[in-house]
Amino acid sequence: MRALQTQLTPLEKLKSYTSLFVRSLKASFAYRASTITSLITAVFMYAVPLLLWHQVYKQKSDLAISQEKMFPYLLLAGCLNYALGMSVEFRIGQRIRQGLIATDLLKPVDFQIAQGVQAVSDGIFNGVLGMMFFFSGFIFLGKDVFPASPTAFLLFNFSFLLAFLIQYLICFVFVQGAFYTYSGYGIFAARGALQQTFSGIWAPLIFYPGFLKTAGEWLPFRHTIYTPVSIYLGWVQGNEVFDLIYQQMAWVIGLYLLGRVLMVQSLKQMEVQGG
Amino acid sequence: MEKALHVDHLCKSYKRRIRQPGLWGAFKGILSSQFEEVEAVKKISFSIKRGEKVGLIGENGAGKSTTLKMLTGIIVPTGGELEVLGLIPWKQRRELALNIGVVFGQRPQLLWDIPVRETFRLLKTMYRIPDEVYEVTYKEAVKRLSLEPLLGTPVRQLSLGQRMRCDLAAALLHAPAIAFLDEPTIGLDLSVKEQVREFITDMQDKFGTTLLITTHDLKDITETCDRLLLLDKGALLFDGSLKNFEKKFANESRIVAELQQPASPAALRKLSEEMKRYGGRIITSEGHRLVVEYKKSGSAPALTQILLKRQKVADLTLEKTDIETIVTRIYRRPSKD
Repeated sequence: MRALQTQLTPLEKLKSYTSLFVRSLKASFAYRASTITSLITAVFMYAVPLLLWHQVYKQKSDLAISQEKMFPYLLLAGCLNYALGMSVEFRIGQRIRQGLIATDLLKPVDFQIAQGVQAVSDGIFNGVLGMMFFFSGFIFLGKDVFPASPTAFLLFNFSFLLAFLIQYLICFVFVQGAFYTYSGYGIFAARGALQQTFSGIWAPLIFYPGFLKTAGEWLPFRHTIYTPVSIYLGWVQGNEVFDLIYQQMAWVIGLYLLGRVLMVQSLKQMEVQGG
Repeated sequence: MEKALHVDHLCKSYKRRIRQPGLWGAFKGILSSQFEEVEAVKKISFSIKRGEKVGLIGENGAGKSTTLKMLTGIIVPTGGELEVLGLIPWKQRRELALNIGVVFGQRPQLLWDIPVRETFRLLKTMYRIPDEVYEVTYKEAVKRLSLEPLLGTPVRQLSLGQRMRCDLAAALLHAPAIAFLDEPTIGLDLSVKEQVREFITDMQDKFGTTLLITTHDLKDITETCDRLLLLDKGALLFDGSLKNFEKKFANESRIVAELQQPASPAALRKLSEEMKRYGGRIITSEGHRLVVEYKKSGSAPALTQILLKRQKVADLTLEKTDIETIVTRIYRRPSKD
């Protein structure tokens, strides 16, 4: 008879999450046709704002941000948007609906972290494709797409990591709703709409009308795209950069705790579907 | 012997939305908030010792899977107490998970898009299975469940039977202290069912794993368990050994006769009256086949003599009621609700 096992040590947990990450990454490559379809969709999605803005600048060139600055912004925002694409709500929603969540909860690892690890594998897969967009943009826009300075690039990387965490934690908070609605679709759509509106994917928040701009400043979405891209392009400097990074950190902590509290409640009332 | 799990007045009820039939009903269902309370498990109490092999049976909706979900910590009970390996499942789910193996027959725990081998490797790390244990469990599973040709195949390409075998192997790779197996032979053909039962028994023998199996195939129970829990509409109707179960419920035996000629209605009436005096009852008379059921032990010789005297019998057998028949009868009893 094997002796009873006590909780995993931090090192053993790390090994477990790494192992899960490797398997999730392998699973990301399982559906080649779907990958190609989503790539084509993404190209379309990021080409549309570029074309729209091109038309706007043709008619009115004296906007708050010049065309030379705007296009690198839109290109980077598109790349980031793609790299931050994760199937958290879809994956968890589907598993709740089919009752497969039961098998996730039977694993000796933390559900929130395990889902995060899978989101990282989504991110790496999408990030590689995002880099392809970036290099295609470089062909058209030249050195304007480069970071403002080596420091800006360094801080951007840090800000992007935080952006990734914020994105995942937002998804995780939203998907708690699926424990009550038993479908992730409506939640995915709601989060997606807010994300598209307030992250800065279509335009920097400076162009937004007053109330939308204020709402955007109070919500975490802008820290997923607008903040890291602004740092990269040198639109914010000095202490302002650190202020934004501190805000991102605060959102990471807040959303993590909120996700945990909601998860405990969700699991308490959960019913596993399908007998 | 040490307790593996203990359940005391365990309850689980949940709310179910009341939906009206038809398209209009479905539309109204979106707006309405009418619920009914369903009591899935009603104050059940039992204990299982380490190393015991217990079968949990009951009709569809009797509360078997709900009980298992509470024992594994997936869902939270609405009342009562439960302890598994000294832990409170829903509060210490992750710690408990390291010590239990679970198969939910209809829910694969294998990673869907990658080969089976990959899930096994992941589980080895996740459950920190020592090499010497993994060596035994992995080899045994691959050999006994004929998994070799399946190891490199993505799970989504496996048939139900193949997936079930892999799932069972995955659940027992870490030689858990308790294995909760919810319908482990569902969808399997007869020879594979046999393979699965043998594998479960072997693993139990090797590692002293406590078994709790729910199933609708009673052969799973008779071949792997020595104790039975019978749930009926959420309540525990029986808890004891298989022998005691038969003693308690199998109070009827049968004489099955193959007559040389079908008995006439008049002869049957006479036979029936005579047999009544010895506690016998004709339950089937179809052509040449005649079945007599009797309750009183010791009635068989008298009933057989009457039958042989009144009819020309080509063949005759005495049948003890098997466990499957008993359970079917219990399920068919009119509800007391």
